[in-house]
Amino acid sequence: MPDSWPRRASYVAFIVAATLTAACAEKSGTHSTPPTPPQPSLIALLPDPETGITGKIQVSNEFGGLPIVTPRGATLVKPNAAPGAVTVLSEEEVARLFGAALAALPPAPTHFTLYFEFDADTLTEESSRQIAEVLAAVKRLPVPEVVVIGHTDTMGEAKANVVLGMKRAMSVRNVLVASGIAPELIQVASHGERDLLIKTRNNTPEPRNRRVEISVR
Amino acid sequence: MSGLKTCGGFLIVTLLMTTPVAAQQPTPAGHVKIVTGAAFIVRQNTTMPARPGDAVFATDTLRTQGNGTIGVTLADDTRVSLGPDSEMRLERYVFAPADGALGMVLNFVRGVAAYVSGRMAKLSPDAVRLETPAAIVGVRGTTVVIKVGA
Repeated sequence: MPDSWPRRASYVAFIVAATLTAACAEKSGTHSTPPTPPQPSLIALLPDPETGITGKIQVSNEFGGLPIVTPRGATLVKPNAAPGAVTVLSEEEVARLFGAALAALPPAPTHFTLYFEFDADTLTEESSRQIAEVLAAVKRLPVPEVVVIGHTDTMGEAKANVVLGMKRAMSVRNVLVASGIAPELIQVASHGERDLLIKTRNNTPEPRNRRVEISVR
Repeated sequence: MSGLKTCGGFLIVTLLMTTPVAAQQPTPAGHVKIVTGAAFIVRQNTTMPARPGDAVFATDTLRTQGNGTIGVTLADDTRVSLGPDSEMRLERYVFAPADGALGMVLNFVRGVAAYVSGRMAKLSPDAVRLETPAAIVGVRGTTVVIKVGA
């Protein structure tokens, strides 16, 4: 076991082979056909494609369940049986079985976090400079979307914070549009105080939670 | 009399015209980013060829044929892709953290697929469920990983 299990939340990547039996059973289409019997599933956990960190999954059905925590750890689940013992697939097996699906994964979203001057909707100087990086990330993508999400700390009412988060998000959106990003590519949302970067109790001032996150994907 | 009728007809027409505008558009669950070969979106019994940029909605099914592949990015940055001759139904998708509403059920019907979790699995691991015909897969955050690895 690696002793460096990550402490921070991270992405988990795994693949699911819903059916490994020869994919012959092209649906014959009619509604009158009785449902096909359950097919075996091979389920494997992979390291995150970007960070290399491996998360954890729990595979279960009515007959039993087991966790998988090992990179390329896999279980074959047959119909009407508990998930089979975990085996470790080789990298070659992963590529052979899942290469086509992995190749079709969209590029990882790029994230930016912008902060505001205190009590204002103007960006800090450092955050202003990041706008150019956002533009560059958008230009790299064939089918770009820009998602702008406003956040607040836990001061004040939750409802008011949704409104405040939206104000912050709109002000970033306006900066992006002024910088040349087409408005139709941009979605704006507010998570208010429900998605804290730094976990705090209610009514806690925390500058790092007063932010706007941009996801370019 | 005929004036009343005309008036009533006008009212109905007005209602018919304004209702769809007033009705709220459903928010897409995500967008298609990558398509190679034959890939389709099935929505309420209608099968449409999938193109990059297409919106995907909860209860849509993604399907590939032959050597087709498709990759989508969902609203919470989750990424899902299908290899050849594969099918996946986006059974449920709710991502509204401001309302505390989170939920994702992906039903892998056949073929091969890849999944990379996004923000939802971070915010609420229990909100994410992957289903295959033989098993259910729960995604756990890193905190739980540390416990199990110990």
